[in-house]
Amino acid sequence: MSDSFSNQLSDQIKQAVSEKRTLQITGNKTKVPLTEGAEEISLADNAGIVAYEPSELVVTVKSGTKLTDLKAILAERNQMLGFEPPDYGDSTIGGTYACALTGPSRPFRGVLRDFVLGTKMIDGRGQQLRFGGQMIKNVAGYDVSRMMAGSKGSMAVITELSLKVIPLVEEVTYCKEMPEDEAIILMNKMAGTTLPLSGCAYYEGYFYYRVFGEHAKQDAIQCDNSVWLTLNPFQPKLEAGQKLWRVDTEGPAPSIPNTIAVGMCGQRRWVVSDEAPAPYSTLWQSYFAPRHNDTAPISKIKAGLKQVFDPHNVFKPL
Amino acid sequence: MSVIQELIQTLPSGSVIADTEQCAPYECDGLSAYRQKPLAVVLPNNIEEVQAALRICKKHKTPVITRGSGTGLAGGALPHSDGIVLGLSKMNRILHIDHLARTAVLQPGVRNISVTQAVEPYGLYYAPDPSSQVACSIGGNVAENSGGVHCLKYGLTVHNVLSITVVNMEGDILVLDEKDDGIDLLALLNGSEGLLGVIVEVKVKLLPKPDTAQLVMAGFDSVTECADAVTSVLERGIIPAGLEMMDKFSIKAAEEYARVGYPLDAEALLLCEVDGSFDQVKVDTQRIAKILEKSGATTIKVSHNEAERIALWQGRKNAFPAVGRFSPDYYCMDGTIPRKRLAYVLEQIEKLSQKYELEVANVFHAGDGNLHPLILYDANKPGELEETEKFGAEILKLCLDVGGTITGEHGVGVEKLDSMCHQFATPELEIFHAIKGVFDDTELMNPGKAVPTLHRCAEVGQMHVHNNQLPFPELERF
Repeated sequence: MSDSFSNQLSDQIKQAVSEKRTLQITGNKTKVPLTEGAEEISLADNAGIVAYEPSELVVTVKSGTKLTDLKAILAERNQMLGFEPPDYGDSTIGGTYACALTGPSRPFRGVLRDFVLGTKMIDGRGQQLRFGGQMIKNVAGYDVSRMMAGSKGSMAVITELSLKVIPLVEEVTYCKEMPEDEAIILMNKMAGTTLPLSGCAYYEGYFYYRVFGEHAKQDAIQCDNSVWLTLNPFQPKLEAGQKLWRVDTEGPAPSIPNTIAVGMCGQRRWVVSDEAPAPYSTLWQSYFAPRHNDTAPISKIKAGLKQVFDPHNVFKPL
Repeated sequence: MSVIQELIQTLPSGSVIADTEQCAPYECDGLSAYRQKPLAVVLPNNIEEVQAALRICKKHKTPVITRGSGTGLAGGALPHSDGIVLGLSKMNRILHIDHLARTAVLQPGVRNISVTQAVEPYGLYYAPDPSSQVACSIGGNVAENSGGVHCLKYGLTVHNVLSITVVNMEGDILVLDEKDDGIDLLALLNGSEGLLGVIVEVKVKLLPKPDTAQLVMAGFDSVTECADAVTSVLERGIIPAGLEMMDKFSIKAAEEYARVGYPLDAEALLLCEVDGSFDQVKVDTQRIAKILEKSGATTIKVSHNEAERIALWQGRKNAFPAVGRFSPDYYCMDGTIPRKRLAYVLEQIEKLSQKYELEVANVFHAGDGNLHPLILYDANKPGELEETEKFGAEILKLCLDVGGTITGEHGVGVEKLDSMCHQFATPELEIFHAIKGVFDDTELMNPGKAVPTLHRCAEVGQMHVHNNQLPFPELERF
């Protein structure tokens, strides 16, 4: 499985371990800048498609591949990524995976890790490892490939990913003016019907929903699909000192004061507040500032797993 | 005080079975070729009793084998001679249904099918449908990351679980949620085969029940043409809810058993079902029929109503017992392969069938590449089970050689430990053992399952040097 690039990374890691230095894993740095003085282990040049079989619904891609490039290649064969990742401009698939970022289609098609079938990675000893594969169904061994989604460069360098892809569909967006509370209930009621939905949101006084495939005529205004790009990634202009929180909650949960947008069928709320407005709140500054709400046994497990993959703490914790 | 005495003293009466006779029903799971009497069986009524039992077992260093309904096909719930079986069948209540949020909170012993039955009045259902769904439990489904015939469109268990509550050997409660930040422990626990924790509560995603479903059946003159037809359907952007293939032997067996009108002259049969809204299903069915016709189907039949659809499924759904009529016993394999290699793999399986002089029938979840060869054998003939297992191991090796995996949905258990040595190299296996150590440092949870020891793999390696002849089969392997 080793190639010269992986061998090179492996050597860089081993060298850093022996000299007790830490490394910050980076892609195109669209989400997190390089910390001042930190030594970089860059995946930006590790780009390209390794294998793509449209009829097997699987693509294997190097982690530094830009989302725009990957999406274009899939679109040529009428396919797409099911998790609709946000693109901060030149974002890579590896960085998206490391931050476990999923877009508006989440309630209908699932989260990023649902589409992960296999990974190649290099751990903190410089060992080249491979978990999962190219199969949609595979229950051999612990699911390290899915577990590592969201590891934010703290456990291993991801060099290659195999992802399930889905057919490209034409989508149409509709909108209706209504209060936030009503919109939240309505979007959840609609999600319980067979209308083929791929997005439900509330933004600036309007309930938006997106439909694909065959469907009946809608009693709503047809509007531009670009609202989903406005919400994904959601980057509103804030006044100085204002804090934006990403809150993950139950879809039909009541509205939270100072909400400026509701995404993912009510499962995601964007709230301006000084304090965390609810459990599962993330301060949305660096796109993924970690929460510190793990219970003691879970913190212990996470620390233990970090030691399994990175016993010398060569990867900079984020 | 012994572990049994302490369990009896601590837990309510009727929660501990220590009598050898009464323990008998727990001595195997769905893989009945392997049997072992446990030290005792503990049947807790609630989470607190699970915590208490685990703390006592930890203190006495007693292994714990968690069991749901015992329908697993890989021996994952096979007891340990010095351990207890922790049966979760009494924890079988549906705790909460939120029809607006489309979620249900379940105790681990809830049967898979009863979730769908309970939420039907709301027009909802629970998608993963392993063939054992009338009996298998939701806790076992999570532990095995169970699949079913609708996986391609609706995913495995891991795709349909939103959070789980787990108890570790210390008796601590861990709540793992899809909304958690950082590494995905919920995904890790799915399919961990009872080695990392005891699942005591599960919150699942519910989906709107499709308006309708329609089935297209097509017969083909060759396996290759049939597999190519599947490719054509998927390439044209249709994701069927079910996509099943059967080989000639299975077609014949199923037709003789169920008499549903399968074409007996066909070399391969395809069953392709679409579901969803009325409009979408109508369009998709017509497109599929055209694609299959162009792909060289010799017969095509489209279900025109629910009765016809159910009738056409009867053959496939009864394929296992139908094949079983031809033989006293059969052994079900679970490899997964890239679909483009199907014709080659079936050809090789046929050669192996001749080599071992054992017949084999093939049914195939064609959409996701999951192959279920059924090897026919007679357990009463000395040595035939062992030959069957060797045949099975060769099939799994074949699956790996074409880029597949040794298990798509049944799990490793005790059955596929040796095959794991082929699928994973030493560093990955070491990582697996280290992960286990983080959750269960004294290795008391389902020890010896799912991940082979490096020692065992070294022996498997030697076996290959000796042309697969098992050296000293009477010796214990660990």
